[in-house]
Amino acid sequence: MSTRRTVTLAVLTGLALILFVLELRLPNLLPVPGFKLGLANIVTVYAVFRFSPKETALIVTARVLLGAMFSGNPSALIYSAAGAFCCLAGMIALRKILPAERIWLCSVIGAMLHNTGQTAAACAVMRSAAPAVYLPVLLAAGMTAGLFTGLTAQFLVKRAGAGNRNGRFG
Amino acid sequence: MAAVKAKRMAVTAAAGAVFAVSLVLSVRFFRKSPHTLVEIVQDGTVIRTVDLSAAPDETIRIERRDGQSYNLVRIENGEIFVQEAGCPDQTCVHMGKLHSDALPIICVPNRLIIRFAEEDGT
Ligand SMILES: [Zn+2]
Repeated sequence: MSTRRTVTLAVLTGLALILFVLELRLPNLLPVPGFKLGLANIVTVYAVFRFSPKETALIVTARVLLGAMFSGNPSALIYSAAGAFCCLAGMIALRKILPAERIWLCSVIGAMLHNTGQTAAACAVMRSAAPAVYLPVLLAAGMTAGLFTGLTAQFLVKRAGAGNRNGRFG
Repeated sequence: MAAVKAKRMAVTAAAGAVFAVSLVLSVRFFRKSPHTLVEIVQDGTVIRTVDLSAAPDETIRIERRDGQSYNLVRIENGEIFVQEAGCPDQTCVHMGKLHSDALPIICVPNRLIIRFAEEDGT
């Protein structure tokens, strides 16, 4: 990995972390356990379409670990990790079949997988199916939020692509 | 390529279907429960049952198993809610009063659930 690329990945991880921490400061839009706007997902979606799966996984892993530390809520690590990696795996699979105009859809499905993975983890930890009752609300709200973060990422990927017509850089 | 296009359509349709079903299922979250019997569940075990139609006002302090956190559960005028909590996210407090069968109050960090009990047969 070139130095330039390492630096780019570090900057993206930092950006994702800033968005994550910023979101913690925002008021709770929907009082349902596990609901988040997922602003940091803008970076993940961007990375999925601009970087290799391995590099994207690095960014996400670093963001999840650092995010758990910064949020002062290390017990939430298991939920956010379960969600983030389900989301990542799905989006990496989708990037091969979705064109640049459908990046928003990749994000919507990523949000769906994130909420499902996170709910499954919560059910496992709490030894109860109770968290699953939130799943419909989480999905409806999460996929809507995913549409907006996805459209933002799509805009950014297109902008980046315009400055670098050869596709993925590095 | 035709194969990619077919996959793309399948994925789009699946996402649309999941969204539509979720939206429909979400509606029942706003329906008020006909039940009055409430269970407080910690770590998967019912630790207390309260009949809201007959319960006097009360504040119940529930310590997390490891003693590192707590929830103050308040019963007031036949309604139940989390008044205060030591959890980092405070979602349980923001959820307000328990009103729907489909939407129990959950404190994920403290592994606490407050829900309406299924009264025999209903
Ligand atoms: Zn709580």
